[in-house]
Amino acid sequence: MFDRYFLLLHEFVQTHKRVVLITVVLMTVLAGIGLHFITFDSNIDVMLPHEQGIHRSIRFLRDSKLSDKVVVSLSLTTSGKNKKELVRAVDQLAASLNPPLVSTVTTGVSLPGIMDDDFFFAYAPQVLDQHDLSRIDGWINEDGVSTRLQRIYRQMLRPEGIFMGSLSRSDPLGIRMLLLGKMKKLSAASGYDVTVDNGYFLSLDGGHALMILETPVLMTDGPGCRKLVAYLKEKVEVLPDVVSADFIGGHFHTLSNEKVIKRDIGLAIAVASFAFLLLFIVVFRDLRIILVFLIPVVAVILSINLSTFLTGTLSYVVIGLGTVIAGISVDYGIHVYIAARRGGNVPLAIRHAAKFLSVCALTTIVGFSVLFFSQVQGYHQLSFFSILSVIISVILAFFVLPHALSWEQASFIFHPAFTDRLERLYSPKRIHVIVWALLTLAAAFFAVQVRFDVDITRLDGSEPAVFKAEENFSKVWGGQQGDQAIFVATGATFEEALEKNEGVYREAKRAVGEDRFSTLSMVLPSDETREENRARWNHFWKSGREERLRKLIQDIGPRYHFTERAFSPFFDNLTAPGNSRKADTILAHFRKQFVQKRADGYQILSFFPDTREDSDAMSAISEHYPGTFLVSRRALSRAISDVTAREVKLLASIALLFVAVLILVFFRSFAEALIALTPVVTSILWLFAFMTVFGLTLNVVNMVAGIVTIGLVLDYGIGMTYEYRHDMKAGTIIAVSLSALTTLIGTGVLLVADHPALFSIGVTLVISISAGYLTSILVVPSLCSYILPLRQHG
Amino acid sequence: MNAETIMRTSYIIVAAFYCFLSGVSPSGASEPYGKQQEQATDLGKTLGILVEKASAFQTLKTDFVQEKEMAMFRDKLVIAGRIYLRKPSTIAWHVDSPLKYSVLITDTRIRQWDEDTNKTQELSLKKNPVFRNVLNQLSVWFSGDYRSLLETHDAVIVQKKPIVIEFVPKENALTKKIIKSITLTFRKDETYLKQIRIREVSGDVTTIIFKNTVLNIPLDGSNFEVRGHV
Repeated sequence: MFDRYFLLLHEFVQTHKRVVLITVVLMTVLAGIGLHFITFDSNIDVMLPHEQGIHRSIRFLRDSKLSDKVVVSLSLTTSGKNKKELVRAVDQLAASLNPPLVSTVTTGVSLPGIMDDDFFFAYAPQVLDQHDLSRIDGWINEDGVSTRLQRIYRQMLRPEGIFMGSLSRSDPLGIRMLLLGKMKKLSAASGYDVTVDNGYFLSLDGGHALMILETPVLMTDGPGCRKLVAYLKEKVEVLPDVVSADFIGGHFHTLSNEKVIKRDIGLAIAVASFAFLLLFIVVFRDLRIILVFLIPVVAVILSINLSTFLTGTLSYVVIGLGTVIAGISVDYGIHVYIAARRGGNVPLAIRHAAKFLSVCALTTIVGFSVLFFSQVQGYHQLSFFSILSVIISVILAFFVLPHALSWEQASFIFHPAFTDRLERLYSPKRIHVIVWALLTLAAAFFAVQVRFDVDITRLDGSEPAVFKAEENFSKVWGGQQGDQAIFVATGATFEEALEKNEGVYREAKRAVGEDRFSTLSMVLPSDETREENRARWNHFWKSGREERLRKLIQDIGPRYHFTERAFSPFFDNLTAPGNSRKADTILAHFRKQFVQKRADGYQILSFFPDTREDSDAMSAISEHYPGTFLVSRRALSRAISDVTAREVKLLASIALLFVAVLILVFFRSFAEALIALTPVVTSILWLFAFMTVFGLTLNVVNMVAGIVTIGLVLDYGIGMTYEYRHDMKAGTIIAVSLSALTTLIGTGVLLVADHPALFSIGVTLVISISAGYLTSILVVPSLCSYILPLRQHG
Repeated sequence: MNAETIMRTSYIIVAAFYCFLSGVSPSGASEPYGKQQEQATDLGKTLGILVEKASAFQTLKTDFVQEKEMAMFRDKLVIAGRIYLRKPSTIAWHVDSPLKYSVLITDTRIRQWDEDTNKTQELSLKKNPVFRNVLNQLSVWFSGDYRSLLETHDAVIVQKKPIVIEFVPKENALTKKIIKSITLTFRKDETYLKQIRIREVSGDVTTIIFKNTVLNIPLDGSNFEVRGHV
């Protein structure tokens, strides 16, 4: 059946040779032009599983207001300059940043009135709880009042007393300090050293200023990020020389990753192209081999266009594998070329090769197809792109290449001495099997110790400058105490979310400690709680404490020269309603920093250290509060690790099952199928062993490379087993060797990549393909000779 | 991965506001430095002269008497003591009566001692924003950087010989609720202050009178020693 359809197609192309060739050239040119209009996704998130928890965290971060911000840290670079120069630069930069790229600039915060009496008397009754009132009760005695009045008197003698008179009159007990204490807890838990000076966010030494920019540019929008970053750099360049700027924001990672991957891809393509051409011309000494080289190029270009058109987008990581795909898909052309140049009946030789190559292509396609069983969108893209490339390469190799070349003057290309050497290598030797068995046994010992790296941040390939800026930022502003996780409480209304958050806070205080959980509920209880607190406050004072305090002050005050009415502002306002409007204005300001309004309601964000213990504790709390969830890098990594491990087991099983069935059908012999699978098993074991020995780790990106390897290495096993069965000698060995070499070139060039994702793919493929290839040519023939009877042209 | 950056960025932003909450103080102002209004040429010139003269000294020793007329006290509170200053920002404030007290103020910390407790206490200014802002203001007055007061205050020349300038907090300044005006009276030679008078909105008045002021005097460590300075 294969022969019939192959011949039909072959004849059809031969009849319409000119039209077919022109069509291929035209399509390639159009596809080449199309590349300039395609935008690629540089976000590594596309390589993450689409599991509910992971997806929710990623979606939260994407959709939240948090992801549209860039933090700028301006620093004085000259010691002789003072903060005036710095804040002038802040103002200059702020004034120069405008829509559409920057929607809002925050250089600081100014909230007059937070220490005012009317805010104090409105806010304290709402926020001070039973515990606070118990503390105040402990002060309303002779010792407590005496201590406090003495403290006020002493304070008036000190420099700060110049400003503190009014505040002391309205607060003889120092209740404000309880309120400030609550606010300070937020500050202490943050670990950052930001001060507010004249409304500006400044460092304590006045040498650095902080700005927060909001932008409508999404972090996933590569071109947008490019424009934004260029815009910000342009604005910073015109600042005075005495000021430098560091930027912190996801946009810089997006752009930098894109830049690094682009550079890597460019370099990989250049190196691979040069290596391919050099290899082909040196080995074949025939300029027509350029057409073989062009097959994967055309296939990859067409596949990029088709994949983008059909799937909507392509990740840069997938495109980064273009050289690998080229290394794989160039094999079909090489095999056809060699088959044709071996002399004799060229069409027949091509048809024989095509049969075997179709199985190889099918195993490769199966290897990639299993990726569709994954939840990872990036794997789907890779699968689609690779399968298209392979199919196009096969079509071009089988039906276009033979017609684009003239084989009349073809002669066998390899010197007999060369083929002899290869055959000697190929000759079955017991020592090959023994060495292989020992090495593989040792590899198995190390392979089981291979580690999976759950930290996906290590796949962030941003340039050193981006990380340096973040390091500088940490040095200046603190925050080195570790990453923070976000606890999100949701509600249809703000009150509902606040009540939920309050419940979480009560439990979090016990579970992770009050000092480790920073939340809005510290300074803004729910309406219901505030009402309860207010009623409790009024009852507290009206049940005799106000009178007792008055009396104590009356008795003790004269010792420190206080008049009878020294603290009348306190008593006059103690249980008065206060200026709730001002309180509301200030509380709304607090809200703004912690609350996100969404179409389906409100989200209140709280922060805690992203440690395993705290994450576990908060996860347990979250289970009691429906509508709450955690966004933790650690938990996210753990989830990704768990899901990926599950996926890899599933995908590898499916891949192995598929290829096993395929080769069983192909060989119709269990023994031959088993021998053909030997390189696959060896490559996996050796890969894991190498990784363990050299301290490398598996990750979400190179795992997929490992699965793809199954399909590639299997081809070598099939080729050599098929070769033994048909006694095809040097032709197959040379073809397999060249295939391995071209694939190694395609994957090896990734070893020069700066991007960690591409580099890890390169390492994985080089190790596994090398292991698979060596097993195929050294071990498979020996195994065949010991196990299988030789069959001539079966 | 970008997720980590988003989380870090968001936390920095929230943290900045946290720190604002703890860093709030009754001093300072919200008007940005860069948005200050141009002052009258006359005032500008006068302040320029004063700043130039003040820039000529690096150290200072002065006695002071601080009189506080406050509604909360039955009598006027009179505090006497000495101030030692070494530019750019080291100030020792020693109170001799009615209660012995000393405080050393530097860029990053304060160290204080009082007779009652006989204990020395050291505080980080980072953790004491109220102190920090108050001391920033004192530092401006004592060291002679009067121009920077214009960033948060409107000013008028009340008298030219000797120079008396009144500073009134700007409308949306944080101090507006507390301070009505600050009046600086200069010595005849205009090299330093003779008196500072602070009128509060509440009606309280604080006057600091500087006496026996000596500029560019050699100061040793003992002048900045807070414990047992008397």
